[in-house]
Amino acid sequence: MDLLLQTLLNGILIGGIIASFSIGFQLTFGVLHVIDFAVGAWVVLGGYLAYWMSTLLGVGGFVSLPVAFVVFGAIGYLIGPVIYRVRNSRYARPELMALALTFGLFTLLRGGALTLWGFNTRSVPTALSGESLMIGSVTVPLLRVVAFAFACAVAAALFLILYRTRYGLAIRATAENRHNAGLMGVDVQRLSANVYGLYAAVTGMAGVLMAAIYSVNPEIGLRYTLFAFFVAVLAGLGSVGGAILAALLFGIMESVVATYVGSSYSHLAIFATLYLVLLVSPRGILQRGL
Amino acid sequence: MRGWFPIVLLVCGAAVVFALPELLNAYWLRIATGVLMWAGLACSWNIIGGYAGYIDFGHSVFFGIGAYASAILMGDAFGWPFAATIPVGLLAAGGVAAVIGGPTLRLRGAYFAIATWAFAETLLQLATVLEITGGTAGLSLPPFLNERFFYFAMLTAAAATYALTWLLFERSRFGLKVKALRDHEPAAEAMGINTAAVKLQAFALSAATAAVFGSIYAYWVTFINPRSTLGGDITDQMVVMVLLGGLGSLWGPALGAAALFIVNRIFWMYWGDTTFYIAILGLAIIVVVLFLPNGLAGLFARKTQNGSQNAGRALWRALTRPGVER
Repeated sequence: MDLLLQTLLNGILIGGIIASFSIGFQLTFGVLHVIDFAVGAWVVLGGYLAYWMSTLLGVGGFVSLPVAFVVFGAIGYLIGPVIYRVRNSRYARPELMALALTFGLFTLLRGGALTLWGFNTRSVPTALSGESLMIGSVTVPLLRVVAFAFACAVAAALFLILYRTRYGLAIRATAENRHNAGLMGVDVQRLSANVYGLYAAVTGMAGVLMAAIYSVNPEIGLRYTLFAFFVAVLAGLGSVGGAILAALLFGIMESVVATYVGSSYSHLAIFATLYLVLLVSPRGILQRGL
Repeated sequence: MRGWFPIVLLVCGAAVVFALPELLNAYWLRIATGVLMWAGLACSWNIIGGYAGYIDFGHSVFFGIGAYASAILMGDAFGWPFAATIPVGLLAAGGVAAVIGGPTLRLRGAYFAIATWAFAETLLQLATVLEITGGTAGLSLPPFLNERFFYFAMLTAAAATYALTWLLFERSRFGLKVKALRDHEPAAEAMGINTAAVKLQAFALSAATAAVFGSIYAYWVTFINPRSTLGGDITDQMVVMVLLGGLGSLWGPALGAAALFIVNRIFWMYWGDTTFYIAILGLAIIVVVLFLPNGLAGLFARKTQNGSQNAGRALWRALTRPGVER
């Protein structure tokens, strides 16, 4: 029973962080109509930014959070228009070309990270590393709780922007129909750049936290890309609300399989589920995707 | 004059290809063998990715099935001769493609890409936990140290793949059907093409050809493990080679494969690691997507939309006006 509680708790805490960047991933898909392969690379680079901050400047992981927001926001803001341009180009198949572009971006960033930092695993120290609370017989690592709280705050902020501001209305309108949104006076290209920047910024921050909780190495990026894809497919591509539910479900599933079946099977289970969900219900289990 | 040119080119090419084992030392012969293998693999990916327009991010599955078929059947448990294992791998890969193709090919665009990727990773994870595949430790094959044999084996396989692709996709109704469904699937269906069957045939063909190279590769390197045969890096390279060479062109994949594989080996030779090569791969994709959507082969196309025939001029046009070419 305790083991089960512990497993569920771990799953929910990790699922929360995955939700924080999955929301951005879904938003990007909604607005740009591009599946961003590079999502894992932003997570990894966020981790390395924190690693550099801690080794070069000697600051803890939490200080890196705002820095990651600014740095990745700027990078994303610059890259967004390029993706937009390819997606809306006069190529024969712009959708696949845009997919290839983000795949190229991912490969470039992964190769760059491997060249710069090698295959070694690095960790990021924080003020809370190693601290934990005991509730009954369940151990609650404080760092994960803080990360979860951060993820909740990000999700809340994104939802406030989306549903309570005029700009959020423009984003939702663009996601629903780009052409009509453009006719209503929305500058779709600029909005796409902003959304991609926001998403990259949030993903970089999630990367800082992921690196503080686990550790970071360049090859792990693919795994985060997989997580984002899994959540996106389960929720239905483009569905923002479903992403939170799907991310929590994902966290619980991974943690249950890893605990009760064996960690070498957790990837097998994830990929097999992903494949089956795509075949059975490509619009997501909630049937709310595009 | 023009009618003779391809024949002269073909004869010269054949002469060079047959003379290579005499001219090269063992190291460069291995590289030439590798170029042939990747040229063939790129061509096999091009069938589904370029001609049919379904971006398969899990094509390593079929390469791996071929490799594992040879490794398992040539192992102590069976002890088959090498030549007998190739058709088994070929049929196994084609069969798997035919089975998973039915439901998977209903997905389009990015969904198909994710689904194939997920399937490939599922098999990769399965290979690491199963006993028959030797788990993460992998399998060893009886060594056969004859570089020339492998050169000619790869050459035969690659030549057969290109000849088959040329016949089926450039010179037959089947190729027209496949291209029609790539360009507009509902329209192709309205023309009376059984798109589901045509897609499935193209997918199975693409899978079966990839498996042949997997079989030869396993025997060539004598040791395989899940990462080296089913891993994403195999698929990545196929995709990049085809993109660089030119999606849906016959000779483009060979160009892309030769260029990238030689760059890979040069990095390995001078710096002893290929991490920077991964970054180069990524950069190559980005440059191709932004500036050369038709790949290297597009530069040499007889007629572009603007009527320009000069490769240099086409390159300049592509670099100065990204995103304009169709």
